[in-house]
Amino acid sequence: MIEARQLTKRYAGRTAVDAISFHVEKGEIVGFLGPNGAGKSTTLRMLTCFLSASGGSAKVAGYDIYGDSIEVRRRVGYMPENVPLYPDMRVDEYLRFRARIKGLGWRATRSAVGEAMDVCSLAGVEKKIIATLSKGYKQRVGLADALVNKPDLLILDEPTNGLDPNQIRQSRELIKRLGERHTILISTHILSEVEMTCGRVIIIDRGQIRASDSPRNLIRRLRKPGSVILERQGGVEPAKTQLAAVAGVKEVSVIHERDGWTSFAIATDPLHDAREDLFALVRRENWNIRELASRAASLEDAFVDLLQQQPPATTAASTSGPEETSDEPDTAGE
Amino acid sequence: MRAFFILFGKELRSFFLSPLAYVVMALFTFLNGWLFISMVKAMQLQVSSRSLIYNLFSSGWFWMGYFILFPLITMRLFAEERKMGTIEGLLTAPVRTSEVVLAKYAATVVVYLVIVAPVFLFFPLFQTVTGEATAFHSGAVWGSALGLLLVGLFNVAIGTLASALTTNQLIAAMLTFVFVMLHYFLGFLQNFGMVPGSAWTAGMAYFSTTEHIRSLSEGLIDSRPVIYYLSFSTVLLAFTHLVIESRKWRV
Repeated sequence: MIEARQLTKRYAGRTAVDAISFHVEKGEIVGFLGPNGAGKSTTLRMLTCFLSASGGSAKVAGYDIYGDSIEVRRRVGYMPENVPLYPDMRVDEYLRFRARIKGLGWRATRSAVGEAMDVCSLAGVEKKIIATLSKGYKQRVGLADALVNKPDLLILDEPTNGLDPNQIRQSRELIKRLGERHTILISTHILSEVEMTCGRVIIIDRGQIRASDSPRNLIRRLRKPGSVILERQGGVEPAKTQLAAVAGVKEVSVIHERDGWTSFAIATDPLHDAREDLFALVRRENWNIRELASRAASLEDAFVDLLQQQPPATTAASTSGPEETSDEPDTAGE
Repeated sequence: MRAFFILFGKELRSFFLSPLAYVVMALFTFLNGWLFISMVKAMQLQVSSRSLIYNLFSSGWFWMGYFILFPLITMRLFAEERKMGTIEGLLTAPVRTSEVVLAKYAATVVVYLVIVAPVFLFFPLFQTVTGEATAFHSGAVWGSALGLLLVGLFNVAIGTLASALTTNQLIAAMLTFVFVMLHYFLGFLQNFGMVPGSAWTAGMAYFSTTEHIRSLSEGLIDSRPVIYYLSFSTVLLAFTHLVIESRKWRV
């Protein structure tokens, strides 16, 4: 559905997207993940023909983004970041207008708008003026706009940005449901979001692709092993060997041993919760314990770690100081 | 072409659904009416060899209002879309940029015509009310109507370009105001410090809106102003198209 080759966008003195290549197959839900300013929106804007690439090429739905820009746009439903809408139009009026300029006829427009409003649960607000809608409804109007002409591909730029937790959950459900009928590319900087909705994740940072994999595999790679703290009365052995034998335990180390109590740090498989098995061991062996707690490493932390671990060679040279002081390097130094 | 008509309709609707349209229309009809009455009064005091139409349209006062009118009706065209970001949705829909530019332009020209049209009701109204004999021929009416159309085409094109250049409506309005006014006064340069009949005078006369309107409101349709306004409007719209497209490759 999308075939990007060496796609590049340079702004004055800055490369926003640096020769990235990726592909999205028909029927996939792909998450485009990266910190703010990583080049996500720029890439999506190139794919939707809003911006031209400085280099490289891309095919969307089999059409070249330069040569057949109109054909590309006919097949893509795009929801830009922050969902820009005409505030003085009514919801149904806006959706009809969008359906019409996307090439639907009068008759088709009526049914398509009705359907899009159903899918996005917009019943009841169709006569409201967009400016009076809440953020959640505006976002759904934007989504209805993107899918009104039943495009093959939906490109959604930060679709849950600025929503409250309840609305975020609803819109995730909606995106998952849409995935049954459309190929979807969504961009986000929230890791847990792609974990819940996407079949595959492309991680982009400073204009370069850092990883492209299923969320499950990525979590395996990114998440630091979780750890369980267990403090029991008695010496190190044989408890250490017994703990290491429990399913899901990767490594056991001793934190401290004093006053006849030993504290263990038990590294566990991120995808396997070993706490129940550990407690079963405690009961079986009739251990006297005073702490059994889990210290789960957060996925976000691990993701941030990954981005900081491997700065790309091109930007590493130009960034001399820490990020926090880069805004005012000279005055602060003197 | 389909997209053109849909966008054209949308622009017209959004203009006539806003209170601005009616305020501007009322204001202009009032200004023009007041000017019309002043002209009639002036002609009562002093015998004029020219027709009422000629005197009305060649009066500098008539055009003063237009310096305000064009900025008012063109400032939001692109500036607003860019400010709100809706331009992104618009240009990622399967429409050509030229269709967008032309639809916005054409809709604004129609708005302009609707605003100035009442002027042409004054003449028959005047005659019905006063029972005066016809003091002008139909050629003068058609000629001056053509003149107003041409001036509108040209100045709306200036406004369209100005609106595409900035995301700030106020700046777009100021730019339009300045260029509409500069163009109008360009025609007066022929009167300053130069020998009548010199190349300078003859050259500057080509730019003079007042000159164009004078000949048109006598019923004389000269092809030079027609070509002048149409070609410059086309160039301005081509620039607008370029400005809108430049977002793609601007660094």
